[in-house]
Amino acid sequence: MSNLPYGPPVKISPLIRFGRWSFLTAGILYGAFHQSRLSKKETKLREIEAKEKVVRDERLKKEKAIAAAAELKALEEMVATKK
Amino acid sequence: MAAAAKLPSLVNSAITAAKPKFNIFLQYAKVELTPPKLSDIPQIRAGIGKLLSNARSGAWKNLTVKQATLNTLVGMEVVFWFYVGECIGKRHIVGYKV
Repeated sequence: MSNLPYGPPVKISPLIRFGRWSFLTAGILYGAFHQSRLSKKETKLREIEAKEKVVRDERLKKEKAIAAAAELKALEEMVATKK
Repeated sequence: MAAAAKLPSLVNSAITAAKPKFNIFLQYAKVELTPPKLSDIPQIRAGIGKLLSNARSGAWKNLTVKQATLNTLVGMEVVFWFYVGECIGKRHIVGYKV
């Protein structure tokens, strides 16, 4: 111990060491618990979103087709009136 | 290619350079960072009791500003270990990665 360059090691009070280790373990448990809780919640949400996505894509496709048809019709009318 | 060939020797020299310092760190850590032993429990209990009695009797108001600052800093450091533990528990540094 005498060969240490920064003097003998400090005797940390057992209370501080106990506090550090217990907070560390409490934090690990808290983090793991909330990680699993939140990831479960998120997988549920993902499933719902996947279901909704099918419906939404269908609707967007229809709307796009209607808009394209309307545009085409408007263009045709414009061409017809110019002649 | 040349850099990749140099890598093992670089790592080896880094390890040999770091070894003495790491040994010094270990000798300090074995005393300063060890988890509390079962034989420390009476001292821990006494410490908690002292903390509570100081809080109740108002003895904490009689500290000097320097002592109070140091106590606050030590208390903050101890509490921050909780957040280190949380980061380890959730296995991500910022936020929860779900």
